[in-house]
Amino acid sequence: MMKVKRSWLKTLAAGAAVVGLGLASCKSGDGAAGETGFRRDKTLYLAGSQWGDPNTFNPMAESWQAAWPVNDKFNLMYEPLIAYNSLDGKFEPLLGTLVSHDTQKVVVDLNPKAKWSDGQPVTSTDVKFVFEIGRRFPGAATAYAIRFVSSIETEMKEEGGERLTFVVNKADRNNPLVILDHLQAIRIVPAHVFEKLLAENNNDLSAVQKFKIDQNPVVSGPYNIHHYNNERIIVKRRDDYWGNEALYEGKMPAPEYIIHPIYKNNDHFAIALQQGRLDASQTYMPRIWLKKKDQVGTWYDKAPYFVPGAMPMLLINTTKAPLNDKNFRRAMAAAISYADIKELAVSGYASDMQPGLIMPQGLEEKFFSAGDAASFGVAHNPDLAKKILEEAGYKSVLKPDGTLDYMTDKADNKLPQLTITVPAGWSDWEAMVKIAEKGLRLAGIDVRENPVDGGLYWPALPSGNFDLIMHKPAPSVTPSLPWTRFEAVMSSRDWAPVGGDNKMNENQGRYNQPGSPEYNARVDELIGLIPRMENEADIIAAYQELNRIFMQDQPAIPLCYLPEQFYEFSTKIWKNWPTSDNPYAPPLLPWVGASTKILWNLEPAK
Amino acid sequence: MLKQYPTARFILMRAGWYFVTFLVAVTINFYLPRLGPNNPVDIIMAQAGSGTSREDMRIKEEMYLMEFGLVKMKASRDAGGRAVKEMVRDAEGKPVRASNFEQFITYLGMCLKGDLGTSFYKQSKKVTDVIKEAVPWTIALQLPTILFGWIVGNLLGALAAYRRGVFDKVFFPVALGLSSFPFFVFGMLLVAFFALTLGWFPPMGGYDNAIPGFNWPFLSSAAHHYVLPFFSIFLILAGGQAIGMRSMGIYELGTDYIKYAKWLGLRETTVLLYLFRNAMLPQITGLALSLGTMIGGALITEMIFSYPGLGMAMLDAVTKNDYPVIQGVTLIITVSVLIANFTVDILIAFLDPRVKAGVQMGKGL
Repeated sequence: MMKVKRSWLKTLAAGAAVVGLGLASCKSGDGAAGETGFRRDKTLYLAGSQWGDPNTFNPMAESWQAAWPVNDKFNLMYEPLIAYNSLDGKFEPLLGTLVSHDTQKVVVDLNPKAKWSDGQPVTSTDVKFVFEIGRRFPGAATAYAIRFVSSIETEMKEEGGERLTFVVNKADRNNPLVILDHLQAIRIVPAHVFEKLLAENNNDLSAVQKFKIDQNPVVSGPYNIHHYNNERIIVKRRDDYWGNEALYEGKMPAPEYIIHPIYKNNDHFAIALQQGRLDASQTYMPRIWLKKKDQVGTWYDKAPYFVPGAMPMLLINTTKAPLNDKNFRRAMAAAISYADIKELAVSGYASDMQPGLIMPQGLEEKFFSAGDAASFGVAHNPDLAKKILEEAGYKSVLKPDGTLDYMTDKADNKLPQLTITVPAGWSDWEAMVKIAEKGLRLAGIDVRENPVDGGLYWPALPSGNFDLIMHKPAPSVTPSLPWTRFEAVMSSRDWAPVGGDNKMNENQGRYNQPGSPEYNARVDELIGLIPRMENEADIIAAYQELNRIFMQDQPAIPLCYLPEQFYEFSTKIWKNWPTSDNPYAPPLLPWVGASTKILWNLEPAK
Repeated sequence: MLKQYPTARFILMRAGWYFVTFLVAVTINFYLPRLGPNNPVDIIMAQAGSGTSREDMRIKEEMYLMEFGLVKMKASRDAGGRAVKEMVRDAEGKPVRASNFEQFITYLGMCLKGDLGTSFYKQSKKVTDVIKEAVPWTIALQLPTILFGWIVGNLLGALAAYRRGVFDKVFFPVALGLSSFPFFVFGMLLVAFFALTLGWFPPMGGYDNAIPGFNWPFLSSAAHHYVLPFFSIFLILAGGQAIGMRSMGIYELGTDYIKYAKWLGLRETTVLLYLFRNAMLPQITGLALSLGTMIGGALITEMIFSYPGLGMAMLDAVTKNDYPVIQGVTLIITVSVLIANFTVDILIAFLDPRVKAGVQMGKGL
């Protein structure tokens, strides 16, 4: 008997030892051994920009592989030349200042005070390195961006400091608008570090891209990586950040540490924000007004709570009958209740929909024409949907119980059931699709939701392997909107048919096939011309013409306006977050574009 | 051969069968993720490809295909005459994909060298490192829970069987109720009540406000965060074990040896221990199997509490078709389940006198 007991004790002791070991070995990265807790009033907890395990902090790695804050266009460790303010459309100085931009060139002055964390100045060599590497290596992240620039010229200014001129590549894309997009998105990296790494690795970029660059990396931004593991990423304030003097009158960012916990479950963001464990988040939280009592705030104090920035939409495979018939597509657009989508699928976080690809508010408002929307667009109108279908010869066949069975075309052929592909588990998108499906079926269109795994959704998109698919083209607010949205939905520049290995990264619905009898050359012409127009009246006229073509041809069906980020904050620990009453920065987490300055404006709540 | 050493023969026979099972499992683990209609490069390209030209996309796609070992390669020489490997191309210049069988052979070769490959998604992270980072969380979450749940459940079960009466009348329905609760519902109820309503415990995460290591802020924070996940598994597990033990106990109580022990007037604790020892055999099997499958991670619990364990690593890999990680994790699970089963087989042979006698008489199992 005693034997049994003793072996239990042993097992227990072994178990406890394993647990101890386990917890101890959770350490990785730049661990500050012996470091004690982070003072809550000096630490900012933010989440929503890192979902899986952090892989690498290498700014040369592809953006989708890099971890926060090196991924995307975040400015905490590496900084772009200029920061875009998505509220007023202006460019704010960062490593450089935008001097001028026209159809020939974009001119930026480098800030002479800008320094790397190892004390070296940020120079034109660094800027040229990161852009030109796209010419040297087709696998580099800037390989696409550099095609818009024919050369980067540098000169010393008389009063000191360097001036950079990005000359528009007229032979290739001839698009100065996209250069602005890239200047506010591409982060400058220290050339002296990466040229050395390249030289040490036989000039093999893919070898350099594999370094994690997570141990005291040379950065220019206000924070640097402190510690990370699969549960969280921690960055620490750099008290010698050059911008404190040069941009913020000697002030330092308020939080000493920024911690990005990695949550595995959507509900955790809302719970953590309500409990004050998180200071800001960017995830969709239903019924945000119920969280106000827990000191959770949003940009607007009342509906729609958020600033619209992007349009989730149904892309339509226009190569497939009956979706190749624009009357059919317009009937679909008339069948969907956008008001229901707004109220039921996205908690009312959107303003009212207008037909077309231009948002009727904010920076895009000047391009929007209410008259065009009324006369060319189709709004929600079930009777109109039925009428269009009837006139085009489509008939709905009902089951004996009165529900829809199938549809026939004008030659009385039975049409196959259409599906709407949507990534399974994206709850707000799935809700939108359900409401769209309901409206379409009520109008007699035989369509069903098709929720698929991410592994099937992503490849389906460029290959055109869908009937209708949920997608959010041009997801972030950049200087080139709404041009980017038109290009993403309507451009046939890189047109490729459905099937085989053919892929299209824009216009995945294969609208406007070049060479076909229906091809409308004006669409591509306008998409090509708008970035080169200088006169605002011309630009407005061109956008309105393009939008009229969109409304008449309906190659996609926008479903609602959603914000670029669901910017939610808690005032339990930190206050003075920007809001519509105090709009000193755009409603984005304080590491995107011009919103980084929030860090200098936050104040401890107590 | 080995007839005069029945135990060794038994162990060898078992080991042989487990090896065959292992081979079959590895083959299935390799082929299953590849049977789907999509491949990881398509997924990566669809997400990384926006804003790139078609030519850049083609170059990148070929780079990934080569890196992931999904294309046929041949030995060649570069301009400088050095030996290099290059992709085999078809008449149109497109790379020729390696068949699943060719990939399988490469995989087996790597496995033999202890190389589980490199994750497609995690920036050339070794699969062994992916596992190494996730396993401590999985073990920390589950090992204590399984052990305590097993011990407490069995003790209470045996007690209930022996005492019966009011204790059993209250205990049995409670244990039955607990054991039939799904983990996730119970976990969510615990979070809703103890974390959200009462605010006694944190609702998520493994620790807070600290850097992992042997320092007080971390250890105290980890312990505080550990309470809810622990109880979400512990209570259900203990309930299940108790029910099993109780039924076994009641069965054993009716047997002759217990009656005999009672008639001899032995002390109650001594009788209880006899009972316990005999009723425990199936429970030991259960314990070993839970420890074996433990390594697969408690996916639902990990999701509810945002614990970065193996279950999450596996889910992440499956949704992205990250073949090497799927293969690596399933390999670890296969090996640990097989080892657990093997250990049980051997243990039972030694613990159970009836089985032992059978083996010694050369009858095998």
